[in-house]
Amino acid sequence: MNYPSWDVPHIGSGWVIGLIAIFHVMISHFAIGGGFYLAIAERKALREGRNDWLDILKVHSRFFMVLTAAFGTVSGVGIWFAIGLAAPEATSALIHNFVFGWAIEWTFFLIEVAAALLYYYTWGKVSNRLHLAIAWVYAGSAWLSLFVINGILTFMLTPGQGWLSVAGSGNEATMFWHAFFNPTFWPSLFLRTLICLSLAGLWALVTASRIDAYQMPHLKEEIVRWSAKWLIPAYVLLPLFFVWYLYMVPETQRGLLTLGISTIGQGVFTQVTRSALITIVTSGTIALIVYFLAYRSPRDFAFGHACSVLVIALAATGATEHTREMLRKPFVIGEYMYSNAIRVKEAEAFNRDGYLTKSPWVRDAERAGWQAALQADPGAVLPADAQAAKAAFGSLMFQGQCLACHTRDGYRSMKRLLKGRDRAAIASMIAMLHDRPEDSPYRAFMPPLVGVPAEIDALTDYLDALNRSDVSRGAPE
Amino acid sequence: MQAVSGVLLLVYFRPGPEAYDSVRQITYDIDFGWLIRSVHSWSANLMVFAVFVHMFSVFFMKAYRKPREFGWWSGLALLGLTMVFGFSGYLLPMDELAFFATKVGLEIPASIPVLGPALVNLIRGGLEVNEFTVQRFFALHVVVLPAFFIGALGFHLWLVQRHGNAVPPSEDRKPPAERHSVPFFPHFVIKDLAMWLIALNVMAILAALFPWGLGPQADPIQPAPLGIHPEWYFMSQFQALKVLGHWFPGMAGEALGIALFTIGGALWGLIPLYDTTTAKGRRARAATWFGLIALAGLAALTVWGYLDKAA
Repeated sequence: MNYPSWDVPHIGSGWVIGLIAIFHVMISHFAIGGGFYLAIAERKALREGRNDWLDILKVHSRFFMVLTAAFGTVSGVGIWFAIGLAAPEATSALIHNFVFGWAIEWTFFLIEVAAALLYYYTWGKVSNRLHLAIAWVYAGSAWLSLFVINGILTFMLTPGQGWLSVAGSGNEATMFWHAFFNPTFWPSLFLRTLICLSLAGLWALVTASRIDAYQMPHLKEEIVRWSAKWLIPAYVLLPLFFVWYLYMVPETQRGLLTLGISTIGQGVFTQVTRSALITIVTSGTIALIVYFLAYRSPRDFAFGHACSVLVIALAATGATEHTREMLRKPFVIGEYMYSNAIRVKEAEAFNRDGYLTKSPWVRDAERAGWQAALQADPGAVLPADAQAAKAAFGSLMFQGQCLACHTRDGYRSMKRLLKGRDRAAIASMIAMLHDRPEDSPYRAFMPPLVGVPAEIDALTDYLDALNRSDVSRGAPE
Repeated sequence: MQAVSGVLLLVYFRPGPEAYDSVRQITYDIDFGWLIRSVHSWSANLMVFAVFVHMFSVFFMKAYRKPREFGWWSGLALLGLTMVFGFSGYLLPMDELAFFATKVGLEIPASIPVLGPALVNLIRGGLEVNEFTVQRFFALHVVVLPAFFIGALGFHLWLVQRHGNAVPPSEDRKPPAERHSVPFFPHFVIKDLAMWLIALNVMAILAALFPWGLGPQADPIQPAPLGIHPEWYFMSQFQALKVLGHWFPGMAGEALGIALFTIGGALWGLIPLYDTTTAKGRRARAATWFGLIALAGLAALTVWGYLDKAA
């Protein structure tokens, strides 16, 4: 617990990342697929001498540039801020391993942004050949930035045995490429590339929907149909790559997907099955919706239609990202670091020496009070300062080990999950999370609860007080 | 959607004393049972909502005018059947909420003077809601109502076929050469297919994000939980009776409430006979105002009902 914890009431810090990330994926994947769309469409227009197409592409490239270079980049930086605050330990671990990976990604990203601006502002000012070359530079660099970040993202799910064998030894850099080209790298790259192409088509449909069908019926028909075809590769190939991806995911993680088939019970554990279901239905039907709505009736395809298709794409993106995140449970970096930032190798030491023993967030006075509490007879009434210290320790245990995934009274609310349990029931629940018996249903999703008995007792007190209080934020009274 | 998911639920649902256990099994034990049940419940609510939207759009588009009066009346019959479908289906899981919501819901027809109590006892199968009520509601829900519904729906669609779609007043005022229309087949059908798929997505998202849970088993001996109320589509009537009962204690309030809804409903049904002319006349304007007041009244009472419950 080297870093401060970020306490976001009601929604939790995870959803701050989630909300930014879902929109970012919608835009950033469009930024990649849209690059190819612009390059290929411009090439087609130039070869066929279609100035009307070029006029529309110029309009589309302005929309593209503003959306990707403004919202896409800002939301990307937003993710950095959010992960730095919500999961600093995991972010630090990733930076220590992939600092050069990110340096490479940012290089491609800089080229990408520069090329996007150049592309838009050089319409009609440079030769056609050069303008098209800029489009290809943009598309290539954008896709390469995906190539790099994909290595880091997939590493978090499947770091691979090569890297795990040196993790924590200080020699992680020797396994950089093992970590980068990890087991899910390639299927994920193909999946994301297909999603990029689909999103390029979907966002282009927004521009195409605004072409006046009374004034330019043929142009609208052509561009709507041509854009709709960008969904075909994903519709045909996505299931194959999805199966490949799942095959490469460890069986223990894959098992999480099946937990919710027969039940909606077991708290939030079955949510992942349901979000996977949204992914399947939305991605399975979106191409058909586009076919019926756009391809078959291109002239009637209106802005509202394009927006409704985008909303379904947003649902697909959100559900897929949520599923992917949930598949990592109980880890934030597979088999290396639990979702509450405790390294797998540290758990034993925390159980032996205490979770808060070296915490920089405990004052000396509190530690002294805590020592008094530890030495007191069980059941003895503690002096006021020892009681305050115990309450502070309980709060720190909660912040360090629960707050990464739970909130007090909102998303995965502790008050709701503990409802109806008295202190003894809470204590036995915590004991189960600490001991992690083989048959525990919590084992698959939740990290072990670590700490010495006195810390666990302080956490029990804290949760019991929370359960009985109306306090939604801060330490319960 | 309702027919298919309903038939699938029939495979495991056991009406009578085992109703609760069988729904618990569907929700927590059987593969994708929760999904079928959630789809059935969500699409039931969406169906009621869609019927209301359709009714008000027909009203404000004046699509009830001659020769479509029977379309309007058969539509109202379908709305009534849909609401009874909802009411009868709501009890079947026999959890605490279903039990008490049915109990309070039956207070609406019970407040009809003279006939009310006898009618409600007949529906309930006795003086209290119990397994006999489940049996009766089940028969109503899966046999009687579908039989009437199919007949009424067939008649309604036959009328649409016979008279064609109504032209909205704004289009009606244009000269025929300026009106835009598309052929039903394939243009309209293809767009409709897309809309069906969008609706399927909405349903999947709702069922997955908010699966229909199951409360504790109903215990008639326990007092009703606080803030118990019927489903949202009965909330306006429920709230009206509650408020009028508060203002005019005793029989007067109930009688006033029932009279209000009966007279309002009758006027609503008779609107095709009042607003008959196609021109923008006084009666057309009065009908539109009547519709707006009815819509605002229903919405306000519903919201008030939920606010009252929360308070």
